[in-house]
Amino acid sequence: MTAADKNTLSAADPREAGTQLRPGLWQTINERYPGSMIRKESFVPQARLGKPLAACRLTLVSSCGVHLKTEQPLDVCHPFGDFRFMRVPSGAKHDELIIHQLKYPHDDADLDINVIFPIERLQELCEEGRLRRLAPNFFSFIGYNMDPEKFERTVAASIAEAVVQEERADCALLAPA
Amino acid sequence: MSVPYLREAAAEDDLGKLVRFVRLHLGDGNEAVGKEEIDRSWAEAVKILLRDAEVDREFIARVLEANESTLALLFFHLHFYFIRRSGRWIHDGSR
Repeated sequence: MTAADKNTLSAADPREAGTQLRPGLWQTINERYPGSMIRKESFVPQARLGKPLAACRLTLVSSCGVHLKTEQPLDVCHPFGDFRFMRVPSGAKHDELIIHQLKYPHDDADLDINVIFPIERLQELCEEGRLRRLAPNFFSFIGYNMDPEKFERTVAASIAEAVVQEERADCALLAPA
Repeated sequence: MSVPYLREAAAEDDLGKLVRFVRLHLGDGNEAVGKEEIDRSWAEAVKILLRDAEVDREFIARVLEANESTLALLFFHLHFYFIRRSGRWIHDGSR
């Protein structure tokens, strides 16, 4: 048994402590894909929103792999995943966007991108005044990833920095695919 | 499987773990399907060569001058290219 095997067989993951909708999922995935899930003993607490949404500038972050049709897609063939991300202009419409992914079905999203990347719904909430404004860009990356530590160091850290420094967003809506 | 797990397998030259990973990846989590997918992509390449059409050997020579990482990734791209060409697509995503 390797060190990686031992790591994946531990049942001490705090995510298994009754907070998951599907208890045991973490362990099941780790048995099938040893070591593929990120393991942390400490978690960063979610920040509390300091003002109402109607006063907030919001961005959207998704693992759905959507991008502008005019741009080169992320690499879906790489066996370890693509450690880059795409910026999606927040004013973009369904017809301008496309999803490139191997690992999940996106037939419904191809018909209406909003089922997985609710960009037009957020635009409407903004027009209705429920949000103050949208950040200029939203973010998208490929969820399939075999190096969670590298992912955290590269993609997650870069998006987090861009959300704060470039987009000046007050809050981010996270939409997993 | 994680990259650290695979690095450990590579360091130990554990072919079984590395091959299992490739089959799981190409078979969308099903090892037997992944093996069949690999066979199918090679068979598709053979079928194309059986047409005996002209080939650009200079292009191949230029491509093989690329660094090994590029060639290794190209290997995976070629697999998916030939699988698409075969008409069989088991993956949930882009067709």
